[in-house]
Amino acid sequence: MTLPQYLLRFRRPGPFWLWAGALALVIAAAAVGGVIVLWKGLVVTNLNDLVPWGLWITIDLSSIALSAGAFLLCAAVYLLGLKRFQPVARTATFVGLIGYSMAMLCLFMDIGQPFRFWHALVYWNTHSVMWEVSMCIMCYFTVLLFETMPIIAQAEWFKSRLPRLAGWMSRVHHYAPVLALIGLGLSSLHQSSLGALYGVLKARPIWYKPDLSVLFILSAAAAGPAMTVLASMLAGRLTPKAKVDDSLLDRLALVIGWILVGYLYFRFWDAFSMTYTYWPGRNEGLSMLTSGELSFNFWFGEILFGALVPAVLLILPRFRRIPWVRMLALALVVGGVVAYRWDTNLVGQLVLLTYLPTEIVARYTEYTPALVEWVVGAGIVAYGLLAFSLGVRYLNIVDHRQLAESEAHAPSAPRLAPTPAGD
Amino acid sequence: MAKNPRLTRRAFLKAAAAAGVASAAGLQYARLARASQPVGSSEHRWAMVIDQAKCTGCGYCTQACRAHNDVPPTIAWNRVIAAGQVDGQPVFLPRPCMHCEHAPCVEVCMVGASYYRADGIVMMDYDKCIGCRYCEVACPYGARAFNWEDFTGPNPAVPQWGQPEIARRPRGVPEKCSFCVHRIDRGLALGLTPGVDPEATPACVVACPAKARVFGDLNDPESEVSRLLAQNPHYRLREDLGTGPRVYYLPARQEAQS
Repeated sequence: MTLPQYLLRFRRPGPFWLWAGALALVIAAAAVGGVIVLWKGLVVTNLNDLVPWGLWITIDLSSIALSAGAFLLCAAVYLLGLKRFQPVARTATFVGLIGYSMAMLCLFMDIGQPFRFWHALVYWNTHSVMWEVSMCIMCYFTVLLFETMPIIAQAEWFKSRLPRLAGWMSRVHHYAPVLALIGLGLSSLHQSSLGALYGVLKARPIWYKPDLSVLFILSAAAAGPAMTVLASMLAGRLTPKAKVDDSLLDRLALVIGWILVGYLYFRFWDAFSMTYTYWPGRNEGLSMLTSGELSFNFWFGEILFGALVPAVLLILPRFRRIPWVRMLALALVVGGVVAYRWDTNLVGQLVLLTYLPTEIVARYTEYTPALVEWVVGAGIVAYGLLAFSLGVRYLNIVDHRQLAESEAHAPSAPRLAPTPAGD
Repeated sequence: MAKNPRLTRRAFLKAAAAAGVASAAGLQYARLARASQPVGSSEHRWAMVIDQAKCTGCGYCTQACRAHNDVPPTIAWNRVIAAGQVDGQPVFLPRPCMHCEHAPCVEVCMVGASYYRADGIVMMDYDKCIGCRYCEVACPYGARAFNWEDFTGPNPAVPQWGQPEIARRPRGVPEKCSFCVHRIDRGLALGLTPGVDPEATPACVVACPAKARVFGDLNDPESEVSRLLAQNPHYRLREDLGTGPRVYYLPARQEAQS
């Protein structure tokens, strides 16, 4: 095919290229926004000394939470021996790789000295929770890169062009159980300590409690697999490239529903225990969530539609078996974890405690993201969507017929438990 | 394709051992690279005493600080806050960095850009900082201000309030009061006594027309700060947090107003 012929193909683009083109436009706008931020500094955002962490940190926390499917499904497949979920773990790994790269893009935009990001590797304050989180994130991203290698190596276009590299990359699959073990360790650490990062701050009473680490990892355990199952179902409906085995996704959706019940239980006690005693700052924060400016997010985004309703829809087979209801429920779970991260990050900053000697009282401030924050944030999300769409199209990352082939690759994977029959 | 399981285990143990050695080396490196010095190993223990009965809220301290430390007009290392009334008279609370004994900012900083000097001063390494602002979120006193934009052009506080003595901070790092550490160190090198000789004393203390601020060494029982704290009731901000501030306040009391 000559170049003009090749270009002619784009004269009447199909739906995929329209979708990809739209995403590319959003990414281009975000790139302009990113350049403005790097050029002018963070003054172009609405962040300030009272609210130094805003929309980008929310997207960063949400992307990491929504990537949690990778470590959970890899652990289920390679450590618990639930091998029939291997194709879903494959999708989750790719989603995880995208999610962690989104998080790192957010951080690159958010930190004041983006080109000193490597200081995190060189200068260590081992006492800092953020040191532990950033070490885990960097190590786990490396693990995800290794876990993704066999996926790329399986693609025909890659195999035919670089056969030796593809052979080397697919051999990484032998170490899948080891990688799953390392991934489980690293993720158990940082998924919870992202909450602890807030939880250790004594100056912020609404955050200062051990519950945040538990709630962060539990909400991620529900929303991460939800993201993976939702993305697989959507791909299966939108393109013939994706081959979906619905019994696997149905089973996972049920598990997600029960994780949500566990999350709601801990969430209830977290909120309820705060109502017993007045603690300056803490109760004002709780009021902001239950009846103040974050109350809509809290009751509808987080609790009712973010956890309660989807838990019911995912647990009861009569609802779960209807594909669009299941997808709606999974989307609600994803939205619920984003709302939880947004509310948690903001509530501790919008309520300020005075340090005047006469009386410790709460004061309030406000934060609305600036346009450039929305544009850059949208671009980072669009990058994630585009990367996933390209993965579906060119890397077959949603392909549930892959099991037989992959099993040949991993003869040493332990079989600790028999595969359970469907319910 | 069946692999010898013993070989796999040996390889795994080898890798685990290598990882262990690497992390041990890393931790050792972290210890060497850590900026904080053992607190108390210095012969000095600097502290500031602020007498609220004397403070008139004039704000000279803020301006002198801006000039000597080249602080942009949008930032104040040293804020003077209106703190209610006693006997119908307004009371003010000047607020520098507290230089906490257990500073939340030092504890949370992932790269160790915030650190303790041996004499207790909480310092910022502006070249190490990546600008994540965790310290700003952690500080209970709002003592830190982030450089959201470049500070270019003339400093409006110069020359009326003094001349800059330290380099401007770049955009993208938070900055805060340092107890004018450069004046202390240079003064000590010249054989002067910080808190007594103006050249060796923080600019805000020197500039205060009401003599409401006193600086000195708590290790020296003869110093003005030691004497004031021994003779007067005093308090520190948010002592309930256990941060152990090195800034002490003498409260404005009703009997002092007569």
